[in-house]
Amino acid sequence: MDTTQLLKGVLDLAVLAVLRDEDGYGYDILRRLREAGLEEVGDASVYGTLRRLFAAGLLTTYVVPSESGPHRKYYSLNAAGRDQLARSGKLWRSFATTMDALLDERGAAA
Amino acid sequence: MTVTEQEIAEYVGRVRAALADLPAAVREELTEDLPEHLAEVAAEADGSLLDRLGAPEAYAAELRAAAGAPVRKGWNLDQRVAAVARRIGGGLHTVDARLGPPLGYASATDFLRLLRPAWWVLRAYLAAMLVTVVSTGGSLGLLPRFGGELLAGLVMLVGFLLASIWLGRRSARLRGWRRWALHASSLVLVVFGLAGLADAEERAGYYPYDPIAVNNPYEQIRDVFVYDSEGRLVQNARLFDQNGNPIRLGYPDCLDEQDPYNANPLLRPYPYCPAQAPFAPRAPVGPSVAPVLPPLSGPSGSATPEPTTTPEPTITPEPTVGTDPGATATATPTPGATR
Repeated sequence: MDTTQLLKGVLDLAVLAVLRDEDGYGYDILRRLREAGLEEVGDASVYGTLRRLFAAGLLTTYVVPSESGPHRKYYSLNAAGRDQLARSGKLWRSFATTMDALLDERGAAA
Repeated sequence: MTVTEQEIAEYVGRVRAALADLPAAVREELTEDLPEHLAEVAAEADGSLLDRLGAPEAYAAELRAAAGAPVRKGWNLDQRVAAVARRIGGGLHTVDARLGPPLGYASATDFLRLLRPAWWVLRAYLAAMLVTVVSTGGSLGLLPRFGGELLAGLVMLVGFLLASIWLGRRSARLRGWRRWALHASSLVLVVFGLAGLADAEERAGYYPYDPIAVNNPYEQIRDVFVYDSEGRLVQNARLFDQNGNPIRLGYPDCLDEQDPYNANPLLRPYPYCPAQAPFAPRAPVGPSVAPVLPPLSGPSGSATPEPTTTPEPTITPEPTVGTDPGATATATPTPGATR
């Protein structure tokens, strides 16, 4: 199964998750996702997801001036975002548990 | 840093173009941070944006999907018009290529292109005729006239010809409003030409060439009275055209039973009815000076002996003309006499 197919469903959750402990700017968030193991995630996908979450009111932004290089727009979770993260996280855990159980029962797990 | 702001601007521009079908507000919301974001991307590593992010169009598609924007399913009006125009253009191209071989050319356009100078000439003629109509107030012949002057019209035609050819040779380089003006004036001339053609066709259809005039000016004539220089009525006059053919006008409606010409009324000399002369004849100056037309050689040969008797019964009511018949009678024996 293609990882990008799975990513489509959980990218929102992944982006919210990497912003839980620390704010980040666009490329920073992409790097964290890739370092966490989601290597196939695309720049445009992350940027688009950030824009959508921002438009949905789950993120706030602030600009940090930089001496060397461009100004960076940081994204941070607001209350609605944390709430959304909690609900989506629970949903994912339950879904993942179901999938794990399904795979274990059939003995197909690696 | 190897990525310039110029490259970023170009990349953003192409992404926005690929999202052109989205409502402007949505597109703006999606891409308002894109230049800053791409600047970060560019600052993090080496290599061009194209190398690291792929084509802007692909980036736009991924962005669209991730942002949950509607996938490009319909076109806006501009794109639909462009698509229809493309399809029509393709169809015309096919027709163009299909029509070419029967004409002996690769395409119909190749053939039509050869006719362009002919159009330049026609265009000049139509323009001259348009000026003719405007300057003479509507009257239209086949040759241009300027204010009714044929020579001036021809000079104008030559001038228009040179101008039209000069314009035709450089019309491909015209741009903008000049091009539109040229097309518009061509359209005006074509419409004018078609109107003129329809007008000429109508006139030709209503009045086909016919040697018999509808309004014959001699229609109302019933009789002919010839007077000599002295004002005397000439009896037994005959009219001939330049070919020696007798001119027959009118019809003898004062029928006379004793008239020897009754058998063929057209052989009668003028006037048919001297009694109806519009001017009263004056008294003759001399008895034998009255001029006499030579009698017709052919038909009158048999008639010549007769006139002595015929005029007299008709004339008798008028005593004054009594001498005239006598004059004719005396003259008839000498047919060779010239007028």
